[in-house]
Amino acid sequence: MGHSRLKFLGMVGLALMLLAACGSSPAPASKTFKIGLVTDIGGLNDKSFNHLADVGLEKAKTDFKIQGDVVESKSGDDYVPNLTNFASKKYDLVIGVGFLMQTAVGTVSGQFPNVNFAIIDGAGTDKDFNDLKHPNVESLFFKEQDAGAMVGALAGLLEKGGKSKKPGHVISAVGGISIPPVNHYIAGYKWAATMEDPGIKVLVGYSNDFTDPAKCKNVAANQIASKSDILFQVAGGCGLGVLQAAGQAGVYSIGVDADQKDADPSVIASALKKVDVATYTAIQNVVNGKFQGGALTFSIANDGAGYAIDNLTVPADIQTALDDLKAKIKAGTLTPPADIPA
Amino acid sequence: MAASTATIGRRPGPRWASAARRVAGGFAVPLGSVVFAFLVGGLIVAVTGGNPFAAYQGLLCGGLGIACSTTTGENPALQISTTIVFFTPLLMTGIAVALPFRAGLFNIGAEGQLLAGSVACTIIGIKFSNLPAPILLPMVLLGGTLAGAVWAGVPGVLKATIGAHEVVTTIMLNYIAQWLVRFLIVGGPLQAANGFSASSPIGAGAYLPLFLPNDNSLIIFGLPAGVYRVHTGLLIGLAALVIFAILLWRTSLGYEIRAVGQSPRAARYGGINVARTIIVTMLIAGAFSGLAGAIQIAGVDHNLTDKYFNDTTGFDAIAVALLGLGSAVGILFASILFGALHAGGSVMQADAGISSSLVQILQALILFSIAANFLRVLRLPVFGQRPSAPAPTAPAAALMTEAAKAPPVET
Repeated sequence: MGHSRLKFLGMVGLALMLLAACGSSPAPASKTFKIGLVTDIGGLNDKSFNHLADVGLEKAKTDFKIQGDVVESKSGDDYVPNLTNFASKKYDLVIGVGFLMQTAVGTVSGQFPNVNFAIIDGAGTDKDFNDLKHPNVESLFFKEQDAGAMVGALAGLLEKGGKSKKPGHVISAVGGISIPPVNHYIAGYKWAATMEDPGIKVLVGYSNDFTDPAKCKNVAANQIASKSDILFQVAGGCGLGVLQAAGQAGVYSIGVDADQKDADPSVIASALKKVDVATYTAIQNVVNGKFQGGALTFSIANDGAGYAIDNLTVPADIQTALDDLKAKIKAGTLTPPADIPA
Repeated sequence: MAASTATIGRRPGPRWASAARRVAGGFAVPLGSVVFAFLVGGLIVAVTGGNPFAAYQGLLCGGLGIACSTTTGENPALQISTTIVFFTPLLMTGIAVALPFRAGLFNIGAEGQLLAGSVACTIIGIKFSNLPAPILLPMVLLGGTLAGAVWAGVPGVLKATIGAHEVVTTIMLNYIAQWLVRFLIVGGPLQAANGFSASSPIGAGAYLPLFLPNDNSLIIFGLPAGVYRVHTGLLIGLAALVIFAILLWRTSLGYEIRAVGQSPRAARYGGINVARTIIVTMLIAGAFSGLAGAIQIAGVDHNLTDKYFNDTTGFDAIAVALLGLGSAVGILFASILFGALHAGGSVMQADAGISSSLVQILQALILFSIAANFLRVLRLPVFGQRPSAPAPTAPAAALMTEAAKAPPVET
């Protein structure tokens, strides 16, 4: 105790010196905005959220005069320190990637009311996950159901046309943990698949994990055993196991969040959550002085959600049907549900 | 160091000199492995196109708050407080691994025991959330301690009665604890009513006091006081180390533990109840780990969250115990090192652009060089130890008996 207090005291001098150094630097003519990005435990190479957020940051770096720094969180213990670190250095925008950081963003944004925060897929919340509505927090939400509906429609059309691998009219989804963003995807998926192929059976399972592919592989194997021949993974890094299981069993799979075409040959399409668009927009808002607290929602309507066709040649009639559905969702004539239909 | 080398070849010098030699000899291997790790790590950074000096400056600054670059604006006090928060649980989980080592047992289950402690602390903290702090806080800490003891007691009893290998049983109990946490907060009875995988917060009475008030209007070292998260669990951890040292070297139980560790047969011949010693050792070890888990909930998180799915404190503790050679002082230094590496990794990545995965590489290299035991040579000629060191068997086992040896007595 005495030891650590001594250390603390010893650091006062250093801290003061640093502050003095900061104060004397002249203000540049045109400001370089400092942007800090904190990944969740998935890390930059998750081929998904964190990767896409980094893509958005890199794009912003080429378009605006900004300094962008990234820190990967290695465990849940890192969220608060990593966010605090950027905030304490007076960054202009600190971006937290993913809802796992909600309470951390809530805590740190309260401590630094003069620093702007943005969070993908969440808000700045207290321990009970109530939105604290801090005016310096911009929530970047997605209508996952829009993206889920597009791949769900594709799956339904394939099943209806007998173009899937097995004639069972059974498809499935593997969720990570049963939380709102995951269930939005599955809701859109089931809704659209049932709409296109009313006789279809949609199995839904959860791995209770977002990182370990083996756990998702187990769930996927069970679904394949139950005659599912199109599997939609909604489980981040864990879900890579779904894609592999589908590949090994010779059935189709659908990727999530980012374009997962290269993750496995079985991937016929990916439901896209354009985290890069959201990140870029948040940075753009700060640079243009248009940052404001509250929610920004990204959907098919503003090109913040969508889908990609991957290792599959889509018949023209199915493509026409997909384009038609997308136009209807964009126009608002069809609205995919946020809750999984019964 | 100079004093110790100067005495080589002389007749046994004064007491302090032999003590200094012993200390230097004791530090040689762990220090050597850390230096080795940093050299190889620096090489890896350089080969992959980074600047190792910038990387290590970031690590030092982020971990210990020293040598910070003046351009990046790190706050040293903030970094030190983060490091302390990170190393506090390692103190106790380190003991949970080191104590069984002394008895010849590998407790790989510190993580499961920590989780058991976290779960018990959370349950008690929620169920009795209205109780005042003087009652509730001891309750949650004691509850966590007991839960950890039970979690480690099971492998202890199995080992002592039917000989089930504690490595296997403790690893399996880690999985059970991890999945128990998942069950509890993912659709289970502890999940708060909001759809997220987390429990409700524990009652305010169960919070461990912070050293600085959690008051954002109070500015300390240029930042709001709330960012300094150092909590009184640090004091509990340091007290645990003292208790550990006294238990091991100043009690008959400690003697029995060390005797069983060196040779169970000889211990039995000497009249020690080996089965009882094994069970008691595991109970105590689990208690320390469970306490660490309770402290993480009561001092840092205040609710059980999905971060505990991927928590690695109990596994880092194995490295801490090995690097600390199973001694209280060693565990303290090793914990500080690992806490500093953890905290420093982020700053290194933010400032120097070197992936914080380098930290995991460094930790692995440290462990590797200790386990491989190739730095053993450091101890023999340089520091004047007797060259008749025990023949190396399985490397880690050799280290274990080596560490379990009583300080050599000068004749």
